[in-house]
Amino acid sequence: MRLALKPSPRIKKILLRCFVGFAVVYLAIGGYIWWAMHQPPEEFGKVMSRMPGPVPFLLFPFETLWVRARAGQLNIGDSAPDFNLSKVDKTAHIQLSALNQQQPVALIFGSYT
Amino acid sequence: MPALNKLYEQYKDRVQFLVVYITEAHPSDVWQMESNIHDQVVFASPKNEEERAFVAGACVRKLGVKIPAVLDEFGNSTERAYTGWPDRMYLIDSQGRIAYKSKPGPFGFKPAELEAALARVVGSSSTRLVSGGE
Repeated sequence: MRLALKPSPRIKKILLRCFVGFAVVYLAIGGYIWWAMHQPPEEFGKVMSRMPGPVPFLLFPFETLWVRARAGQLNIGDSAPDFNLSKVDKTAHIQLSALNQQQPVALIFGSYT
Repeated sequence: MPALNKLYEQYKDRVQFLVVYITEAHPSDVWQMESNIHDQVVFASPKNEEERAFVAGACVRKLGVKIPAVLDEFGNSTERAYTGWPDRMYLIDSQGRIAYKSKPGPFGFKPAELEAALARVVGSSSTRLVSGGE
């Protein structure tokens, strides 16, 4: 004897609506995160600070989106944009092109936090 | 930072190293991280160039950064040109061209990749010098 568990058309309709509703919310939040990733750091930080804990990292392919959003314009083989910046201790300025005249240069971007 | 300091010590005779201090990744008034509270690394967003220099100085001292460090100007022009936020590494060859570009941090910030690029570029530079002398 086989037990029939076929959902009624009404249940099917409710399930379908739930699925569509969930998909819309998921895509909307994902799209919002994607948009925020393209904003300046402070704007992105504000958006992320309003997200509930690790949810964006757990529910969305965060790393993949981040790597694509922050790919930047520079590619291997491109000329490095020049800059002339003050040393942190304010003792001198360093110009990249001058530093790069004789030797390769390793640039490390970062902050404290 | 220890891994980068080690690379600096290893390659500083053949490669110039430069840390570019940029906009804070997790300032307390924007996106505070529990780990930073735990480590007592809590700074609000610098409001001007002087405040930025103060935080940058603390960063260099507390993290024991041996690599020369410069301060991105307050308009973040260098960060924007290199898409450096929140952290990222590049290697520029002696012709001024980009030889290595890491993926954006924190996921793509891998000193081991920079080390491989350094070995490749410095090695190829040596090869060119040898060839040029023939």
